[in-house]
Amino acid sequence: MNKYRQAFLIGLQGSLVYRWTFAVRSVFSLVQLLVVFILWGAVYAGSPVVGGFVFGQTLTYFTVLVVLQFFTSAFNEDYQISEEIRNGLINQFLLKPIDYFLYRLSIFFSARVVSGVIVLVPMATAFVLLRGRLVLPHEAWRLAFGLPALAMSAFIQFSIAYCFGMLTFWLLEIQGFVILSMAVESILGGQLFPLDLLPAGLFRAAQFLPFYYQTYFPAAILSGRITRDLAGQGLALQLFWTLALVGVARLLWRRGLGRYTAVGG
Amino acid sequence: MTPLTYLRIWMAGARYSVVRTLMFRGDFVVWSLVELFWMTVNVMMIAVIYSHIASIAGWSEYEMMLLVGTSMLIQRLLMGFFWSNFYEMGRNIRTGAFDFYLAQPGNPLLMVSTRKLDLDGLANSVIALALVIYSTHRLGLHPGPRDIALYGILVLAGLVVHYSLLVLTNSTTFWLKSAQGLEGSYFTLAEFGRLPREAFKGLGSLVLVWILPVVVTTNAPARTILHGFHLAWALWLFAAAILWLGIAVFVFNRGLRQYSSASS
Repeated sequence: MNKYRQAFLIGLQGSLVYRWTFAVRSVFSLVQLLVVFILWGAVYAGSPVVGGFVFGQTLTYFTVLVVLQFFTSAFNEDYQISEEIRNGLINQFLLKPIDYFLYRLSIFFSARVVSGVIVLVPMATAFVLLRGRLVLPHEAWRLAFGLPALAMSAFIQFSIAYCFGMLTFWLLEIQGFVILSMAVESILGGQLFPLDLLPAGLFRAAQFLPFYYQTYFPAAILSGRITRDLAGQGLALQLFWTLALVGVARLLWRRGLGRYTAVGG
Repeated sequence: MTPLTYLRIWMAGARYSVVRTLMFRGDFVVWSLVELFWMTVNVMMIAVIYSHIASIAGWSEYEMMLLVGTSMLIQRLLMGFFWSNFYEMGRNIRTGAFDFYLAQPGNPLLMVSTRKLDLDGLANSVIALALVIYSTHRLGLHPGPRDIALYGILVLAGLVVHYSLLVLTNSTTFWLKSAQGLEGSYFTLAEFGRLPREAFKGLGSLVLVWILPVVVTTNAPARTILHGFHLAWALWLFAAAILWLGIAVFVFNRGLRQYSSASS
C-alpha cells in the first residue's frame, strides 16, 4: 500500500506543475457557466417551469456538475497511459511488483485533489455571483447517497479513460476515439442538458448505460433532481458498472500485454 | 511574392493534404465521424430543449437549428482550412521547428495558415450546410440568389473573425511557450455564437455581443436567411472582421519578435 501512497505523493507534485493549466481550465469553466446562464435564462424566460424544474434548480444542477467534474473526471489520463505504452515506459512496471492500474489510479486521485482544490476559487466566485439564484436541497440522504455516487463516478471515469489508453496496444492513434467518446459522454452524461429532460423512455434507457453514472447521476442527487428511490436503484446499477469497467480495464491490460513488444532501453 | 504565387503554394499544400488523407483513409473516417457526432450532439440538444418549450429568445426550433447550423458551418470551415495549422504552430514554436516557416520567402502568417487542409472538417462543413438548408426548408423559406450570396459573404466575414480569434489565442504561445488550456478557449468563446443575440441582456450584451464579436458572426448570416438582408448587421460584421483581423495580425507580428528560434 505504501508504494501507491508514494505514487500518490509523486502524482501530487507532478500535478502541481500543471496548476496553471488547471487554473485556466477552471476559469474557462466559469465562462461555460455563463453560456449555461444565458441559454437556460432565455429558455426559462418563456416558461417558468421546464421538465418540472425551475431556472434556479437547473442552474444549480450545472454549477454542481462543473464543480464535480474537477473532482471526478479524467482529464488526459487516456493520453498519458497511451504515451506510456507507445514509448515503452510501461516496461518498468512489468519488472517491478507494482500493479499498473493501481499506480495510475493513485496518480489520477492526486491530480483530482489538485484540480478540485484549484476549481474552488473560481467556483466560490460563481457561488457569490449566483447567490439567491441557486436552489440547493437540504435532505441529508442526498449527501449519504451522493458521496458514494461521486466516488464510483470517479472510478467509472478513470476506468473508461484507462480502457481507451489500453487501445494503444492495438491501435497507433487513440485521439479520434477519445474525442468520439467525449461527444457521447457529453450528451449521455448530462453535460449539455439534464438527462431528465429526455423523453421518459430514453431517460429510462440512459439509466442502463455507464455514461449516466459518470456525471449526471451524482450531480442530479446533490442538486435535487432525482428522488430517493431512483437514487437507490441508481447506486446499485452504478456499482455494477464500476465493477464491470474495472474488470474490463484489467482484462484489456492482460490481453494487451500479450501483444506488447517492449521497446526502448 | 504575388497573390498568384501564394495561391499556387496553397494549392500545392492542398494537393499534399489530399494525398495524405488518401494514405490514412481510416483516420479520415474516424475524424469525420468525430465531427459528425459533435454536430449531432448539438442538434439533439436543441431537439430536447424544444420538446419542452416553443421558443428561445423569440427563436423557434428550426430558426435555432439554422443559427446552430451556421455556427457549425463557420467552425467546420475554420477546422478544415486552419485549425491543425495553428495547432502545429504552438508545438513548432516550442520545439523551434517554426524556423521552417521563417526561412520561407513569404509572409509568415500566410505560410503558417495555408500549410495544409483537414478534409474531414471540410466534409463536415457540407453536412453543416445541409442542416442550414434543411432548417430553411422546414421554415418554409425560399431565399433568392441575392440572399444566398449575401449569406455566403457574411459566413466568410464570420470566418475571418473566427480565424482572427484562432490566431490570437495561438499567438500567446510566443510569450507563454505553451498555449495548453488556452487552445480550448477558442471553443468556449465560439459557444456564444450558437445563442441568439436576443438572449443577451445588460452587461452580457455589451461584452459578449458588442465587444467580443462571435455572436454577430452567426446571427448576421442566419438573420439574412430568416428576415432578409439588414445593412446594419452586415456593416457591424464587416467592421468586426476588419478590426479583429488587424488586431490578430498585429499580435502575431509582435509575437514573432519574441520567438527565440530553435534551441541546440
